[in-house]
Amino acid sequence: MNSNTQAQAPKKRTQWWFLLHSWLAMPIWLFLFFICLTGTIATVSQEIVWLFDSSVRANPPDNAGEMLTFDEVIEVVEREAPGAYVAEITRPVKSQFALTAEISYPDSTSENVFINPYTGEIQGRAASGFNFRQFVRAIHGWLLIPFNTGFTRYSFGWYMVSVLGIPMLLSLITGLVVYKKFWRGFLHPRLRVNRGARVFWGDFHRLAGIWSIPFILIISVTAIWFMIQGLLFEAGVPFNGASQAPVFVPRDEVPVAEQGRPPLITPDQAIAAVNQRYDNVEAQVLRLPGTAFGHYRVLGRSQAFPLVHESFLVNPYSGSIDEAMRVGDQPGLMFTRLSMRALHTGDFVGLSLKLVYFFFGVLLTMMVFSGMRIWMTRTFKTTQAAIRQKKARVKAIGDSA
Amino acid sequence: MSNATTKKGRKTDSRWFRWRFHLSGLLMLIPLVLAPFYIELMSVFGGASGLGARHIGTQAAGPWQITLAEQFEQAPKLDGPAGYMKTFNAALCQTCAEQVKAVYLRLGKPRSLRTAGVIGFGSPYHMSFSMPVPENTALDAELWLTLEGWDGSLQQVQWPLRQASPATIEFLQQQQEL
Repeated sequence: MNSNTQAQAPKKRTQWWFLLHSWLAMPIWLFLFFICLTGTIATVSQEIVWLFDSSVRANPPDNAGEMLTFDEVIEVVEREAPGAYVAEITRPVKSQFALTAEISYPDSTSENVFINPYTGEIQGRAASGFNFRQFVRAIHGWLLIPFNTGFTRYSFGWYMVSVLGIPMLLSLITGLVVYKKFWRGFLHPRLRVNRGARVFWGDFHRLAGIWSIPFILIISVTAIWFMIQGLLFEAGVPFNGASQAPVFVPRDEVPVAEQGRPPLITPDQAIAAVNQRYDNVEAQVLRLPGTAFGHYRVLGRSQAFPLVHESFLVNPYSGSIDEAMRVGDQPGLMFTRLSMRALHTGDFVGLSLKLVYFFFGVLLTMMVFSGMRIWMTRTFKTTQAAIRQKKARVKAIGDSA
Repeated sequence: MSNATTKKGRKTDSRWFRWRFHLSGLLMLIPLVLAPFYIELMSVFGGASGLGARHIGTQAAGPWQITLAEQFEQAPKLDGPAGYMKTFNAALCQTCAEQVKAVYLRLGKPRSLRTAGVIGFGSPYHMSFSMPVPENTALDAELWLTLEGWDGSLQQVQWPLRQASPATIEFLQQQQEL
């Protein structure tokens, strides 16, 4: 009898793990499903726009030469929209996307214009602010609940979503505990399609689960980080490091000019200044000075560590580089924040990785669904069985009476 | 008869048993309900609807002209340790955009250029000012805009706060009653 209880102990423990695994996502499965689905769409939202809107495509002509430089983008805007103010230029390199310039008009409206990177033709315009890409991200990331409402500084939805990282991570761990010798599933994959829904979804759940171990780990850990990031922000912890005050051009370095705005160095000159001093910087985004005391900000993804982008502030009057944030210069928290975000979105290599993220996103979304299906069929059957037993008992009592 | 009622009871129990696990789906209503507000908010941020939610007016400042708007018709918002902040937007006329080096905004008359207030950030056609509003601000306070030319010349215009942002006046009244 003693040996019998010893043998039962591990079984009971497994059952307990199994119960935990079953209950982790069940009460929230539909919400989790929605978040996984919107997240999966968000991964490829830019590509979806590309599919439906030809104006955001790069469309190289037959005799495609060099891509337009930043200066040439400004020339295009000045020619097509005289008097407009250019705020930011995005110039994707080796990409299927058009150049984007964010411009502001004298009537105080603003637009994103999409420029063919080879011909300089303005292919399309979109009001800045609302766009599909940002909309999907906002649904997925914070359910459109506004930020800074006085209750929390981040959106409350941010926490509702990011807290899901915890049950997701626990589901992964408990799932691997209850799936005995799960590594065998890699060698002997099993997906029985002809044995009914319960068997199919069970096989699918396990097969997709083991192949998604790294993906689920990445998504859940980064989601938990997003929650921590929000809480740190609420607590007033500075991400840029306490010593990082905003950098401005000192007043005495800003020239006085009788004839209006003095000439600034051009964007290409600013980028050349960065490239002269630093190796391996590929400028992808250029922000023009926001005030008379502001800098050109040159942003590029690090070639050595693509999870983090690098940023340089170039004095628009003297061309001196007043701040350089390379990978190694980022304070620890900022480094973590940038890396975690890139890992979560999968947007740091290009289309290929985005498609991988999309694929595993679909799998994860279906895992939430299949988990629910398994739970429902099993639990429903158990409940039915329990009711039948009870009925039989009642009947037996009635018969004997 | 009693058997029938228990049967019925079990039936609803079972349905409730199944459906309560889908209730979290109701959270999907949040983005659905908030979508119009989100779209409205983005159009204000993006400047698609112009300078801001509420135009305050246009004034001549010496040779220049400046238009002021409230970004939202709302009370100042608490922004952590920075205290209560209120966002105004301003636009320079197209001809003077090239002449004006910077625009500053503050509550009350500045004593010098050093204390002219927060600097307008962004396009000269859509400068944004995030201005601190102390809770003890007088209800008859004035908004002072200081325009600094590239040639070093200074121009000032003011708006009564009551006219510039009734929502802020309401907020201050509430704060000061407490």
